Amino acid sequence: MTTKLFGERVERREDRRLLTGRGRYVDDLAHDAYEVAFVRSPHAHARITGIDVTDAIDVDGLVAIYTYEDLPERMQEPLPLLIPHPSLTAPRTQHVLAKDEVNHVGEAVVMVVARDRYVAEDVVDRIVVTYDPLPPVVGIETAAAAEHAVHDDVPDNVAASLTQEIGDLEAAMAAAPHRIELRLDIERSASTPLEGRGVVARWDDEDQSLRVHSSTQTPTSVRAAIATFLELPFAKVECIAPDVGGGFGVKIMHPWPEELLVPWAARTWGHPVKFVDDRREHFVAANHERGQVHWVEVGFDDDGRILALDVRFLHDHGAYIPYGLIVPIITSTQLLGPYKIENYRVEFQSLYTNTMTVTPYRGAGRPQGCFAMERTIDAIASELGRDRTEIRAANFIQPDEMPYDFGLTFQDGRPYLYDSGDFPATLDKLRSLIDWDGFEAVRQEAQAEGRLIGIGMAAYVEGTGVGPYEGGHVLVEPNGRVQVATGLSTQGQGHETAFAQIVSEELGVPIEDVTVVTGDTRRFQYAVGTFASRAAVMSGNAIALAARKVREKALSIAADALEVSPEDLDIVDGVVQVEGSPETSIPLKLVATLSNPLRYAFDEDAQKATQFAQPADPDEPPVREGEEPGLEGTDYYSPPRSTFANGMHAVIVEVDPETSDVEILRYAVVHDCGRIINPMILEGQIHGGVAQGVGGALYERMAYDENGQLQNASFMDFLMPYATEVPTIEVDHLETPSPLNPLGIKGAGEAGVIPGSAAIAAAIEDATGLKIRSMPISPSELHELRRADEETATP
Amino acid sequence: MRIAGSHTFRAPREEVWEALHDPAVLARTLPGCQALEVTGEDRYEVTVTAGVASIKGTYRGEIELAEKDAPQRYVMDASGQGGPGTIDARVAVELVAVDGGTRVDYDVDAVVGGTIAGVGQRVLQGASKKNAEEFFAAVERELAGEAITEAAEPSEAGTPERPAVGDVFRPPAKPAAETDLTKLVAALALGAAIALIGVLVGRRTAR
Repeated sequence: MTTKLFGERVERREDRRLLTGRGRYVDDLAHDAYEVAFVRSPHAHARITGIDVTDAIDVDGLVAIYTYEDLPERMQEPLPLLIPHPSLTAPRTQHVLAKDEVNHVGEAVVMVVARDRYVAEDVVDRIVVTYDPLPPVVGIETAAAAEHAVHDDVPDNVAASLTQEIGDLEAAMAAAPHRIELRLDIERSASTPLEGRGVVARWDDEDQSLRVHSSTQTPTSVRAAIATFLELPFAKVECIAPDVGGGFGVKIMHPWPEELLVPWAARTWGHPVKFVDDRREHFVAANHERGQVHWVEVGFDDDGRILALDVRFLHDHGAYIPYGLIVPIITSTQLLGPYKIENYRVEFQSLYTNTMTVTPYRGAGRPQGCFAMERTIDAIASELGRDRTEIRAANFIQPDEMPYDFGLTFQDGRPYLYDSGDFPATLDKLRSLIDWDGFEAVRQEAQAEGRLIGIGMAAYVEGTGVGPYEGGHVLVEPNGRVQVATGLSTQGQGHETAFAQIVSEELGVPIEDVTVVTGDTRRFQYAVGTFASRAAVMSGNAIALAARKVREKALSIAADALEVSPEDLDIVDGVVQVEGSPETSIPLKLVATLSNPLRYAFDEDAQKATQFAQPADPDEPPVREGEEPGLEGTDYYSPPRSTFANGMHAVIVEVDPETSDVEILRYAVVHDCGRIINPMILEGQIHGGVAQGVGGALYERMAYDENGQLQNASFMDFLMPYATEVPTIEVDHLETPSPLNPLGIKGAGEAGVIPGSAAIAAAIEDATGLKIRSMPISPSELHELRRADEETATP
Repeated sequence: MRIAGSHTFRAPREEVWEALHDPAVLARTLPGCQALEVTGEDRYEVTVTAGVASIKGTYRGEIELAEKDAPQRYVMDASGQGGPGTIDARVAVELVAVDGGTRVDYDVDAVVGGTIAGVGQRVLQGASKKNAEEFFAAVERELAGEAITEAAEPSEAGTPERPAVGDVFRPPAKPAAETDLTKLVAALALGAAIALIGVLVGRRTAR
């Protein structure tokens, strides 16, 4: 049999290249390109009263200066509303360069094209833009109060209100023996990839075509936007995502103004043009996420069974709303987690503020929802004096209730329906992994030493692999190389390895022979993108289906050549052979050659495919009806709806009694994403997610002041966890296959980050006895809480 | 950003008042000042070179003195803009006669924007009060008559005694015009309004 590769810890094939400096990122390309820099708004909200370039135009090396007025008509239109929704009644999107008004610090006002970035920045410094400042709207509650408006024609700052309800909330709440109300806050953060945004474009004047490399999570969609705004035939625009140094959601946003302006400038000047952001502009001009305030009312019985759940929350989407309502819709559904809640009402408003625009960041609304739900469950446990895991267990949807349809609509417009999952088993694994029952003894031991330690946990369910579709192309070359392409792009997830494992297993070829290309419209033009933990589910299945087509075709051709039945054949290590008698065989590469009837040979194998090489049916065309030359296959995977992964995290923290510093002592993860393609890559995804979860819980926040100035727009002040702050992560897996797709897999990319704030808040609460209702929490904030608590206790 | 503080001069209130309103003095004492131009009654345009770390540049700032109640109090409105960012500030200055001199209380309410706001605002704020002393010390030396006297370049209509519109005052030649971070911060905090501009960078209207 072929070496089994699916499910194996195959080392990432891309790592040697990436770790030895041979990655090719946008900034590694086109060293001859002109570079651009932008004059960006220093104000959160202002009218532009003048732009003076008098002192700027004499700078040696300047190519061009552009303002909104200088753009062609199509480019003057607002950027697209990417995901419309009937409830999104007041959508506003930005212009590629500000028109009359700026709505957040960092909004691009003037573009400078110059010989290099140094010159471009010098020119930027000499351009004087005058503004008439307007009152800035900063903070969720300020926006809701609507004393001032971000956009004049949206006086209440509300872009959308959406309510979903199941059951009879009012009656169930009224009848509930216990009720609790909570307010729960999550602050803003951002994806903060190592590589920021970047785009480089080359215009081929003879061919009248454009080649664009962008650090994006969706090259096909960027291409569509470029073709549309530059009014070019799609066929004349290629878009490629080269190596991308992390995306985490921020690069699913598109088209960035620069993704249109740079190609336009390249065409205008017939010269390559490049934009690579610097860290400061990434902080203020690349999208954020997370900021939400939630009000929860829960009704429950004496056993902690939730009878009614009423949630209202405000979502701060920043200055514009290009990505629609995806984030708050995810919060409003995924909040339910693994719990069977039959009377539920959720209402949100999505609000404009004069801050950076909000679009998904890894987790995309789920960390907030998980925080709201899990803190609520802990509050119930506290109210009833019961163990927190018991309350969870009492509310789980049971395995025999799967598939479970809540009766809500999910972010893909499809039913919010869990396909599979075994939540009680996940909890059992977690309890034993962290030794939940043994913790009391550990706590007492620590207490005796004057140490404050606590344990917390959080559960989540994650809708992954959202549609509409992805495709895969598998081609066996006459030399035996297997070329695999899929349209979505890669930002470090190990697709070159995972997809190769799938093809290797499906096709029976050595993995060394398989080459995977992602995110290149020259190789595959139909795709959606890499987000929502969907690449493995969507492209993985599409590639598997394509490989199965190739396998079928290969067996059919080989059967003819060997004069056996296809059913008796198998492919082992790149050789098609008769099962049970492997000496009757034909190399797959020869099959590939034979699949393409030739007139002209190029080597010895090829001679066998030429017209006089073998007897043929004189009445059959060389390429039979319904067939195509070449050993290749394309297929698509388009699921009816998302597949739902789940997991639970437990964490033990220690709070320094003097400084209130929080140290994570243990962090345990139990994770169920269906069948696992590569456990090592999966663990890497979980580790990275947990690291971001720790960041979101204890360090990261976007510190806007009341004027809308981001005060921590550098890594000096925006804190991210180092290796020193990320604990050793203990991981256990459960594999509950998805019934929705051929490989039985579910997504795993975002999982690690989701329960971080909820679990860590629970552990801090357990250690200190204080209600932790707002995250992230800094040592100073925790210290204040503890001091306030002590003052109340001893008046 | 709010910065408040005070400095006590060993000079009578009227003299301190005069010094703080004398463009020539200010041009000499304002950290990083390249030129100070009188643009109207109690209005100045100041050119300052300043920088925090890599964020450096030459700025022009506009200041206007208002609500003058000599020699007790005045308000300075300053605004500036440049590559590193923008600032709009209102500085309330009060001169209080105290035993042996004059105490100047300043209260700055500034909105700092752009790049400079995103990097090291805390550094600016934290170090400001301490470094504002540098400016005051320079004024103090002026008051003590220690400073080099440098002739202004009066406009043709101007007279040395009374600054006229168009007069440009420059500090004495110095080895380098660049100021370091501490000076910039001093400028920011500079109770007297003017130094504030140092950081700020001039706001200019499109012409």
